[in-house]
Amino acid sequence: MIAVGYAKHSDPVVAVRRCIAAMGSGTPQMLIAFCGGKLEPQAVLAELRRAYGATPVFGGSAAGAIGRDGFGYGGFELGLIAFMTPSTTPTALVTRNLLPDERIAGQMLGTEVRRIAADNAVVLMLFDSVASTAPLRLHHASSIVEGFHAGFGTGAVCLLGGGLLTDMNLTGGWVFDGEGVVKHAAVALVFPPEITAETVIMHGCRPVSTFMEITRIEGADVYELDGRPALTVIERMLGLPLGGSRGQELSLVATLGQKQGDPFAPYDENAYVNRLILRAEPDTGAVTLFEPDFARGTQVQIMSRDNSLMLESVRRGVAAMNATIAGGEPLLGLYIDCAGRGSARSGAPIEEAELVVKGLGRAVPLLGFYSGVEIAPFAGGQSRPLDWTGVLTVLRRRRQ
Amino acid sequence: MTARVLPANLGQLERELAYYRRECNDLGARLLRLQEEQSQAFREARRSRTVAKLIREAYRLADADSTPEGIGMPMLEMIVENTLCDGAALLSLDPALGPGYFRATHAIGPLGAESMPPVCIPSPPSFFFTTSRTLIEPPAYELTGILRLPYVLWAFDRSSGHAVIIGNQSESNVSRPFESGDQELIEGALSVYIDVLLRKRAEVELRAAKAAAERASNARSRFLATLTHELRTPLNAIIGYSEMMAPASPYQLTLANRQEYAEQILGAGRHLLALIDGILDYSSIESALPSLNPEWLPAERILAEVASMAAGAGHRRGVEVEILPTEPQLELFVDPLRFRQVLHNLLGNAVKFSRDGATVRIGAERSGDTVVLTVRDTGIGMRAEDIPRALEPFQQIDSTLARSFGGAGLGLPIAMGLAEAHGATLAVDSVPDQGTTVTVSLPRERVRFAGAG
Repeated sequence: MIAVGYAKHSDPVVAVRRCIAAMGSGTPQMLIAFCGGKLEPQAVLAELRRAYGATPVFGGSAAGAIGRDGFGYGGFELGLIAFMTPSTTPTALVTRNLLPDERIAGQMLGTEVRRIAADNAVVLMLFDSVASTAPLRLHHASSIVEGFHAGFGTGAVCLLGGGLLTDMNLTGGWVFDGEGVVKHAAVALVFPPEITAETVIMHGCRPVSTFMEITRIEGADVYELDGRPALTVIERMLGLPLGGSRGQELSLVATLGQKQGDPFAPYDENAYVNRLILRAEPDTGAVTLFEPDFARGTQVQIMSRDNSLMLESVRRGVAAMNATIAGGEPLLGLYIDCAGRGSARSGAPIEEAELVVKGLGRAVPLLGFYSGVEIAPFAGGQSRPLDWTGVLTVLRRRRQ
Repeated sequence: MTARVLPANLGQLERELAYYRRECNDLGARLLRLQEEQSQAFREARRSRTVAKLIREAYRLADADSTPEGIGMPMLEMIVENTLCDGAALLSLDPALGPGYFRATHAIGPLGAESMPPVCIPSPPSFFFTTSRTLIEPPAYELTGILRLPYVLWAFDRSSGHAVIIGNQSESNVSRPFESGDQELIEGALSVYIDVLLRKRAEVELRAAKAAAERASNARSRFLATLTHELRTPLNAIIGYSEMMAPASPYQLTLANRQEYAEQILGAGRHLLALIDGILDYSSIESALPSLNPEWLPAERILAEVASMAAGAGHRRGVEVEILPTEPQLELFVDPLRFRQVLHNLLGNAVKFSRDGATVRIGAERSGDTVVLTVRDTGIGMRAEDIPRALEPFQQIDSTLARSFGGAGLGLPIAMGLAEAHGATLAVDSVPDQGTTVTVSLPRERVRFAGAG
């Protein structure tokens, strides 16, 4: 059995107690906690320990949390997932070495997971997204995931996950690693073989340009598109200059998308991998992406966030999930939701998380969090980090 | 068979392709801008709904069973949640710290309210915000220091002395920097807070007044019952002895009997007079504080006079009255009659509630610029929770005990009323079976040292 609890309060002790009250009695084998950035993590941990003793706590900060009883991203939210029985409790593996080299840390984690994971095991990976704030640098999910797959090898694995943030402004992030509160860490929670996952990815971006070729790129910094400064190309599209502080606003407006498969096939939201723009550099004409996984020669399109499309995508995705899990016994619904999709940031007229909460079958215990990046199996292949998506997963018992 | 593209057609196709590419990008750009404008409009609408949400939630809080101070934190949470700022605080002017000094009453963010030092803003603006273009000079310097965040939005209500500030670490917090259009939001939030705070305070005062009125009513009822008893006892004695001494009395009284009964009647009459004097004294304090005729008097003399008056009552039970050493130059600006009555009542109580053979002490000593007069006994004392009742009129802490010691329980309230009429404060410290200490602290303007200029 898996229990979930959600609460919102500026006092972490009150928030924890309300979550515990929502989850009911019993001592869990393991807890996952998603903790709003304005809640003091040590106080949350202390109260959890007071209630549950030595039960290990994983998870970390979240830009917000989503539950059946409410959702929000003001920083006072707390979401708890309690694994009450050994048959549903994952095994936790941790690396605390993201800072020196994310790829190597991911590889070591993948190698360890390979040793204990069954074929097609479900693995939930959580890590702190912000490596440093001055200057702002992210722990790149693409490097961690690439390393993970390299370490894991050729076996099949259902890797899900999210980057942990304290708020929508990328101010920080931290991880509950089973012992305490740490930074530069990734946790892999490996579920027992009898647990399987159904996943839908919900998008919300539409191409608004023809294909362009990245003609100069260094890491996550895209300098040129079709031989012209990337920033100039995007400024022309937006019709406004993006120098100074406005560069920070770019992540609200446009993304760069890479279409998978036949480039001239009809539009399919599931065919795109989107990369948010972290900032603009007027001095160099570059834009910095959230991830460094595009390369020279990659064909990309400028993508516009489309709130209507986002909401339609959620409605479709939730309906598809309900159809998939009909008749089964769902154990847990987990919604990993890009923080940018919250209406305060996206400007959507309604909260897309609310569509998930109201739309997903009531029998599914649901908990979600607002993330910096989402990780999910993509286009029938390996898992990839995604931007501007909502990843909805339902865990079930595997049919024999 | 494959179609051959002639060079002329190829050129045409390339022109067509370029045309469609251009149109595609232009239309895409237009779509992008429209989408962003729409998003921005929704974001602004969401922001502008903050005050409406605050009003709704504030009235819910106002109706809830919270204290005036208790509404600050939930209000601040709402502000933070709707503006998605990194920190926020409610502040109020604190005249005790000096002009322009603000103290944080509630805070969310890197610092708690208790960790925030008072901040001096000599000319606090009613509205202010900072951007990356704001010069770090007053008041931006002081305001950004409150939350230790560089981008702040501030509103201050001069009439009430309350202020609210929210702050961000990054300028384009969530969607955009602070701007002049945010004045409505921040001032609206502050207004809602002040309105609910004042409403809550008025409610608390109203409840306190109602409770006080109920207490007074109950006290009067109890007093009437006590008074009836206190009046009946001596009156019964007067009537009973008078009937026995009347010409038509069936009793055969001796001369000694008559003398004894006459003394009983006289004693009961005097007791009645004392009771009535007390009631009149208290009534005069309650209806209108007596107009005092103060004059400078040596403290030593006042203490000696009241000690002498009390010594007679004490002498009968072996209770000694001791005057503690007092600075000879100390003079008090008090009404001779009324202030003596304060000390007389206190000393009378001290003697009355002391055990036989005990010592009661009275003194006056300097405490900074003020003087504290002390009356201390080692008598029966009272519980801490009974002290407030003892200071209220018509209250009998323990009616059995009080009756055994006599009196209508007016001595202490009368003393307090007269002390307060002098601008003094009266405090009681007591421990059951160990005794009671009553202090009267006179303000500096009623104290001087003769010869000190």
